[in-house]
Amino acid sequence: MQTKTTMPLRGSSRSITTTLAVAGLTWLACPWANADEPKPKPENTISIQLGEPVLPQKFEHPPKFWIASVTDRSGNPQPMLVMKERGGVFLDKQPTEIVKEAIEQSFKAANLLAPDAESADLVLRVYLFHFGLAAGSGLDFFGKVEFSIMVKNAKTGESQEVKAVGTSIAKGAVRKKNMQKNVEEDIEEALHDATRNFVRGTQLKEAVAALSKGTEAVPAATPSAAEAPRPLSK
Amino acid sequence: MRILMLALLAGILAMGAAGKPKDETPHYKTAEAKHFATAEGVELTPAFVDYFYAELRSELTKSKLVNEVIGEGEAVEAADAPQSLVISGTITEYKKGNVVKSTLIGFGAGMRSLKMDADVVRRGDNQNLCVLHVHVKIDPRWNEKVMAKGAAHEMVREMKKALAESAKGS
Repeated sequence: MQTKTTMPLRGSSRSITTTLAVAGLTWLACPWANADEPKPKPENTISIQLGEPVLPQKFEHPPKFWIASVTDRSGNPQPMLVMKERGGVFLDKQPTEIVKEAIEQSFKAANLLAPDAESADLVLRVYLFHFGLAAGSGLDFFGKVEFSIMVKNAKTGESQEVKAVGTSIAKGAVRKKNMQKNVEEDIEEALHDATRNFVRGTQLKEAVAALSKGTEAVPAATPSAAEAPRPLSK
Repeated sequence: MRILMLALLAGILAMGAAGKPKDETPHYKTAEAKHFATAEGVELTPAFVDYFYAELRSELTKSKLVNEVIGEGEAVEAADAPQSLVISGTITEYKKGNVVKSTLIGFGAGMRSLKMDADVVRRGDNQNLCVLHVHVKIDPRWNEKVMAKGAAHEMVREMKKALAESAKGS
């Protein structure tokens, strides 16, 4: 005759069961633990604006600028995701658009923006290396905007590089609402700083002076270097 | 009697407040902080230097020593140049520290340390206003950027003190 006895759990089985139970409870308790990649929603999206335009420095012969393109060279696969933690913080526009608007706004305020590419004296090509938050101490938010601009004389074809960087430190926050607000202010401040660094920088002044010299040297009758066929360089 | 005593106390307090020495630190229009260079053998990433630059600018703004903290390489109007500062410097030494030493021995042994020198120059005539030496130490388990924060704070404090002293002397 067979008698049924309840088999007690052995030591190893018991520990596995306990571990699984604890892991399951933790997974259920933390909503962010089972969440997928953060997704942009209206409540976690911020809008970065320059605010007041930065008045550029005064040039001896004020040229007209035109921004031909803004290229993202940050290598960031998700340029609109500013912060991944705590459900994520997203931008409402591409960083390239934000930077373009900021520079255009500043040149426009000083009447230095050309209405179109044809009427521009200097054509700008912006290469964006960093936009958003950078690794900081963990106690605060470190906002950084960094770009490099190729300033090209539309007539002679000569160009010069100008670098600009803007940084900002904002307080850390515990509440998500405050955190989002601080991140927004931090990036706006960094953008403002970078724009000011560019439009009021000595590098731009030197570039404008050097490139205008080129224009003065070229007689009006001769065809410009931009029109002349250029040899292929390998 | 009580009213008289209160009035007397208020008078003494008011006299004390008036007699308190005023902050002698001169006020400047602009300050430009430059990215610090690293001496040979200092193993710090460019990200650290970037972060220190940002912290230094943030501390300068907080100190209210200057009206405006401008970015590196920004133009300053000629009229403002005599009332403007330029801060540049070098990170001369960085020791990573040792967690084991710090835990077992304590008393400052095995701490992560950073030494830097800075020059504060007047923009108008390039006159050196003060030379600063800063040495900060933190626990080796902490992020090195916490050290940058501490160093920036210490540097601005030293600068404020040195500028106040030089203003008093002249």
